[in-house]
Amino acid sequence: MTERDKDKMEAPGVFILALIFLVLFIVIWFMHHKWLTQLWPIG
Amino acid sequence: MAEFRTCPETGLKIERNAENLIKWNVGIAVALLAVGGLFGLLMALTRWPSVHLLPADFYYRFLTLHGIDALLAWVLFFEMGLIYFTSVVILNSRAVCPRISWLAFGLMLVGGVLINIVVLLGKADVMFTSYVPLRADPLYYIGVILFAVGALIVFILFFANIINARREGAYDGTLPLGTFGLLAASIIGVVTLLHGAVIMIPTLLWSMGILPSLDASVYRLIFWGLGHPSQQINVCAMVAVWYMTAYLVMGAKPVNEKVSRTAFVLYILFINVASEHHLLVDPALSTWHKIVNTSYVMHLAVFASMIHAFCVPASFESTLREKGYTAGAFEWLKKVPWGNPAFSAVALSIVIFGFLGGITGVVFGTEQFNMIRHNTFAIPGHFHGTVVGGTTLAFMGFTYLMLPTIFRRKLILEGWAKAQPYVFGIGVSILSIGMMAAGSFGVPRRHWDITFAGASFPYAFDPSIDVFMTMVGLGGVLAAAGGVMYIVVALGSIFKGEKVA
Repeated sequence: MTERDKDKMEAPGVFILALIFLVLFIVIWFMHHKWLTQLWPIG
Repeated sequence: MAEFRTCPETGLKIERNAENLIKWNVGIAVALLAVGGLFGLLMALTRWPSVHLLPADFYYRFLTLHGIDALLAWVLFFEMGLIYFTSVVILNSRAVCPRISWLAFGLMLVGGVLINIVVLLGKADVMFTSYVPLRADPLYYIGVILFAVGALIVFILFFANIINARREGAYDGTLPLGTFGLLAASIIGVVTLLHGAVIMIPTLLWSMGILPSLDASVYRLIFWGLGHPSQQINVCAMVAVWYMTAYLVMGAKPVNEKVSRTAFVLYILFINVASEHHLLVDPALSTWHKIVNTSYVMHLAVFASMIHAFCVPASFESTLREKGYTAGAFEWLKKVPWGNPAFSAVALSIVIFGFLGGITGVVFGTEQFNMIRHNTFAIPGHFHGTVVGGTTLAFMGFTYLMLPTIFRRKLILEGWAKAQPYVFGIGVSILSIGMMAAGSFGVPRRHWDITFAGASFPYAFDPSIDVFMTMVGLGGVLAAAGGVMYIVVALGSIFKGEKVA
């Protein structure tokens, strides 16, 4: 078992939370980008 | 000869000099937070459109002091306490050169008081940044220099303390993680304060009329070598507090300590360069320079924060799993001590720092986004997420651990202490979100009257900003209530708390 696998085994809950937050971050980033470009249109 | 006592709760050997230095530094920090927090409340009540409390001159004067007392003095005095805690108490060692330590404390105190007096007299309405060509009274810059020299001495004493502890065999192997975090803070601290000397001494000479002029863009460039890295000292100290609290409250150790240490090294290497994001609209610097520093280098420091933000909760989880709370993926989350104010402060600090402070910092530090956010109210929204919701809240939580260990006092008003991190954390979150939303609509930061009454060219913001500015006022009042609860519990326990053996 590698060190990385061991980390996942010791804290699987945080590993799942990390994945959820990663997806949320990407979604929020693009929604935020869309909102800002609507608020401040260029041209 | 060093005098020691053994703490019955933690088993730590605590030297008398270090104990007194921590007590005074933390005590003064709490008092300064009370002053800085009061000015912060007045800021929130002035920017709340339906209240608009202060007249213009007092708004700018108190804004300057809010920045000095809450952002600089409270945090740095507390960090001085943490320096003695991590380089002496945790290592079961003694404080070297106690007289120089007290001299440094005195310099910081005199400098801090001097700044407050000069600003209150109306001789330095220059804001926290004191951007040239705004000119303050020379005593203001002397106050800043005295404060900075005092802090620099303590950062250097940190190295002396750990070298001495090693030499006297107080510890062997690697430094404990909390001490390692403050080592990173001290390295960044020395670099930061040298930047301060490079720019504040010429600015003092300019204010005295000895130097005929000072280049504004050179001032901004070097000032941000002081201004932003000083916040990175806070980040390192805050993260060290996260790890130390996890250990002291739950006995939790990092799942992989090497990863956590590597993340601290990333801070040392990359976080100072990221200060460039303050200069993204500055015409004096090239686009290449700006993009390399903020779109590439900055993310290596951000990466470090993300590592810590997951390593600390992972330490909670792995510890509780070892204790048998293994049902499902999230049983541990129900079993963490949410009622312990030191723990809840750290848990909220991680969430607020990461989501309100961290993510927004990445967004606002990106050059393209920065063009529409620079100098808007969104920027204080970001750093109230990092420094207030993150650092201040974590330090508040750590105070609850220091009270019995260092001050040897039991907490008074335990119910208040339990609720305090939630009241303060929720208040700061509302304040920060309100600021960022209003800033997205173009509301400027550091502006007394956003209706621009009497201006030659009238401008009206989108009416929805009233909702967000009201959130700023309400969030500020709630955060101030949480701040008062903290100060009452902390100072009340110090002076009236039941003595611990």
